[in-house]
Amino acid sequence: MTPDVATPFPLLSLLLWLPLGGTLLCLLLRHSSNLCRWISLLTTLTVLVVALGMAVSSIGGSGWLFYEDAAWIEPFGIRYTLGMDGISLLLVLLTALLQVAAILISWRQKQRPALFYALVLVMETGIIGVFLSLDLILFYLFWELMLIPMFFLIGVWGHENRVYAAVKFFFFTLAGSLFLLLAIIWLYLLHGGQTGDYSFALDALRQTVLTPGQEMILYIGFMLAFIVKVPLFPFHTWLPDAHTEAPPAGSVDLAGLLLKTGVYGMIRFAFPLFPAAAQKSLPFLAILALVGIFYAAWIAYVQTDMKRVIAYSSVAHLGFVILGLAAWNQLAWEGSLLLMINHGITTGGLFVMIAMIQDRSGTRELGKLGGLWTVFPNLSAFFLLFCLSSLGLPGLANFAGEILVLLGAFKADPLWGGMAVAGVVFSAAYMLRVVQSALWGESKKLARNDDLAVREWLILVPLAALVVLLGVYPAPVLEFLREPVSLLLETGGMP
Amino acid sequence: MEAMLFYLVALVSVISAFFVTKCRNPINSALCLVTTFLCLAVFYVMLQAPFMAAIQIMVYAGAIMVLIIFVIMLLNIGSVGKSRYTHGVAGAIVLSFLSFIVAAKFIAGGTVSKAVGDISAEVVQSYGHTELIGKAMFTEFLLPFEIASILLLVAIVGAVILSKRKV
Amino acid sequence: MENLAQIAMESVNFQAIMPSLVLCCFGMVLLLVSVFLERGRTAPICWLSIIGLVVTGIISINGWNDPQAGFAGGVVLDNFATFFNLTCLIAAGLTILMSDSYLHREGYPVAEYYPLILFTTAGAMWMASGTDLMTIFLGLEVLSVSLYVLAGFFRGQLRSNEAGLKYFFLGAFSTGFMLYGVALLYGVTGTTKVAGIAEAIRLMPDASSNPMIIAGAILLSIGFLFKIGAAPFHMWTPDVYQGAPTPITAFMSAGPKAAAFAAFMRVTYISLDSLQVDMSAMFWVLAVLTMTIGNFVAIAQKDVKRMLAFSSISHAGYALVGMVAWNEVGFSGILFYMLVYTFMNIGAFAVLVLIGKQGEDNLTLDGMAGLGYKRPFLGVAMAIFLFSLMGLPPTAGFTGKFFIFAGALKAGYVWLAILGVLNSAVSLYYYLRVMVYMYFRDPVEDFSWVKMEMATIVSILIAIAGVLYLGVLPGPVMELAKLSIF
Repeated sequence: MTPDVATPFPLLSLLLWLPLGGTLLCLLLRHSSNLCRWISLLTTLTVLVVALGMAVSSIGGSGWLFYEDAAWIEPFGIRYTLGMDGISLLLVLLTALLQVAAILISWRQKQRPALFYALVLVMETGIIGVFLSLDLILFYLFWELMLIPMFFLIGVWGHENRVYAAVKFFFFTLAGSLFLLLAIIWLYLLHGGQTGDYSFALDALRQTVLTPGQEMILYIGFMLAFIVKVPLFPFHTWLPDAHTEAPPAGSVDLAGLLLKTGVYGMIRFAFPLFPAAAQKSLPFLAILALVGIFYAAWIAYVQTDMKRVIAYSSVAHLGFVILGLAAWNQLAWEGSLLLMINHGITTGGLFVMIAMIQDRSGTRELGKLGGLWTVFPNLSAFFLLFCLSSLGLPGLANFAGEILVLLGAFKADPLWGGMAVAGVVFSAAYMLRVVQSALWGESKKLARNDDLAVREWLILVPLAALVVLLGVYPAPVLEFLREPVSLLLETGGMP
Repeated sequence: MEAMLFYLVALVSVISAFFVTKCRNPINSALCLVTTFLCLAVFYVMLQAPFMAAIQIMVYAGAIMVLIIFVIMLLNIGSVGKSRYTHGVAGAIVLSFLSFIVAAKFIAGGTVSKAVGDISAEVVQSYGHTELIGKAMFTEFLLPFEIASILLLVAIVGAVILSKRKV
Repeated sequence: MENLAQIAMESVNFQAIMPSLVLCCFGMVLLLVSVFLERGRTAPICWLSIIGLVVTGIISINGWNDPQAGFAGGVVLDNFATFFNLTCLIAAGLTILMSDSYLHREGYPVAEYYPLILFTTAGAMWMASGTDLMTIFLGLEVLSVSLYVLAGFFRGQLRSNEAGLKYFFLGAFSTGFMLYGVALLYGVTGTTKVAGIAEAIRLMPDASSNPMIIAGAILLSIGFLFKIGAAPFHMWTPDVYQGAPTPITAFMSAGPKAAAFAAFMRVTYISLDSLQVDMSAMFWVLAVLTMTIGNFVAIAQKDVKRMLAFSSISHAGYALVGMVAWNEVGFSGILFYMLVYTFMNIGAFAVLVLIGKQGEDNLTLDGMAGLGYKRPFLGVAMAIFLFSLMGLPPTAGFTGKFFIFAGALKAGYVWLAILGVLNSAVSLYYYLRVMVYMYFRDPVEDFSWVKMEMATIVSILIAIAGVLYLGVLPGPVMELAKLSIF
């Protein structure tokens, strides 16, 4: 694997470790919550700016847009290898964007602010690390690093049932990832035994010669971790609890970013490493995805807590993403990745807005809400926009991804496509129910009745703009995806 | 003949060991222990280890037992009511008979009588047992011998710490 | 016969026992010095013993890559021994640092405490460097006798009495087994030298079916397994660990355990090499049993000290996985893991030392509620140690488990690795629970009694540094561990 772009300045490392630096500053200056707030905002903004700069500078580039490699744990051949192609670039951008939103939505964090911001920033490092690592152990390290701050975010700042949700979240994801670890080590030993070159580099491990049995076992080990994270039915039960109990910033991060790491793990690691096993598993993935779409939609429809509705809608949307992957063609994959990014923005926006609504009305219960439109016209307009995007209204973000997934699915198997279309209808049902009972109807008692503040405008406008922009003109994003996706599909390989 | 003697002495030693745990009167226990030690000394003699036999009698049956009896007398324990260590007794019986059977099996099978190592009966005859032990202790096992001194030191310090009336 | 003195002097090589010799000298001098100090004044002894450990450490490091054998092959100071020596020295150092304020708080400022720890460490060194079963056995005895005393050090506390007595009885019992094993092996091979036994067994045509060798190997193993605290010989661990003074518990779970592993590895790997298949099978069962029992019983514990005691059983199980592997990666993995475990476990106990009240009845889960907010430093430290004990990156616990499981997988024990990983998952539950209490519960008490003793803080800081260094940049030390295999 030779880097196409020799980076004189380690931009990737900067991107990766900048948030951690912010964390340390926050912890050092923990006595001034105001300072911490600004530090964390500046840090996330800087990351966003750097990421945007990298994106602009690499338009039209091909291969690894950025690449770094250094020795790390020599006795085991573990290296510090980072690489960024179009897919990682987009996901890093999404991360940077949503983290800014997460900081802004928790701007008035009263309870232990320094620790809160510090953890959000640690999480940013973890997530960016997952999207950039090309060494399997390095990847695993960041994979686990995401977990710890999220555990605390849910457990300390969450709602009523937070301890249960935090522990459940931790258990599910860690239990899954331990199998990932075992599979990584086993693969490493098999490869080392064959070639004498003990390495955890993704590119090297792809050359390992495996018997079909070994390949399937290893593939399952990898996929367990990723499927739990995505989450695919029936491993999704941690998600509604975690989403519901998490504080706003935690929900945004969970839905917008953490779920994406599972999908990313599949396309970057599981599929390329074990192509034959992956091919065999596609029908199963598709079935699980379809079941997930319908099941989640059905459950979402009967939820009374807004956050739970959105949480289950995430399961459904990720079902579409996985269906797209299972279709295994260029169109569907581009659609899946696009949907992933759009879902991140849309759902991130929805969770942000739920936090605002809860702030004003004091509840997330659909039964206790109503008539928001008359009191908060601006807020309600934005909420409607995000809801419409989430249900897949043409012209808004989610539609662009979903339609590509559906087209790709039809191409692969008309039956899948047909069923998935039905799933879209379902999602309209539960989202419209939310809109109906929250925005319209009779007004209920409210805690506050001020419409959007400046800070809230600042969060919502960029997100809303992106929702519209990506719905109308997703071409630039697809441009970034085209080459990496075709490489992954054709050779299972990378630049 | 030798085997007969061995079984006899072994039986006595096991039985007396059993009574060490069984007797309620500590003095009786102590005396049973002496019997066991004496039987062990007989074993040493049978193994052509007269020096060890002498040491066994002098140190264990002599010095240590005197000390134990001394302590018992000073503490004036008297007879303890009901024996509390019924499990221990059962375990001791089982264990001692098991080890007896194992040892008997080896001897009957003749595994042990096969001489291995440098020290054969002839060597013992020509050098003398005491001399051999002395030599071994100051050459081959010099270090363990010295470590034993540290061990004793630690034991003494520990005994003082744990039993001193006031620290 | 006439040149006996000459023969004796020829085999003497002080280089080979230099570290333990220096340590013993320090111990004896300290015993003398303590006589001249007024009662209750232990700080000078504490600091002198630290100096002794540091000096010994420097001497040990100087002996790296310069293997010395001596005393007619009874002892060897190779890299393997040096690695374990340093592990034990670190364990002893961290323990002593946290001890002084603790002894004063609990009302037992007795100076002999420190020399006893030094002697324990010396015993551990003889175990690690012994190449004669006699040396190993006597080293074990020195170590055990000191620990019996240290475990029952608080004479006025019933729990401590129980700990000392229980440890003594069961320890003496297990030592009996071990000695019987030594005797049987001597009987069949005619030597007590580790290498000599190996040779004699190799020459025997039917070694693996010879009842005496099998009985000897099993009985010998029982002695070691007892010290390691492996199931089914783990019964003493919880009561002893809970009752003993906390720093001693920390020490017992790291230093002596490492030494027992060292001697166990040397004996099995060299002497009983011909029995590899059977021994590996036995270790397989024991490792699984140990991990599982330790973990599942730990779940039920409400007392944090007792919970850590049970968890230390399961950690012994993880290390045993390396014994099953019976290859270079597995063995060096044990070396590395014991070092890692020393840092993380002693660190966790050091935190407990600080937050305990006199008598330590408040070290329950409820007693930890809100610790993370009232005492942020201790909370973060405990969190780091717990994450490490769970085996999460980027802490040392992860690299350590990684090393061990890599060894097992390399040897083809896939199921064993899977069971180990499942056990790690189970262990999350009880470690997380402490975290939940520390951070997710509102403080009940204000922890105003917690005095941030400088020496204890230093020991916590060293432990944190060790955990993070071995977690983030384990390369150099892993390399050393690989060079340490005989």
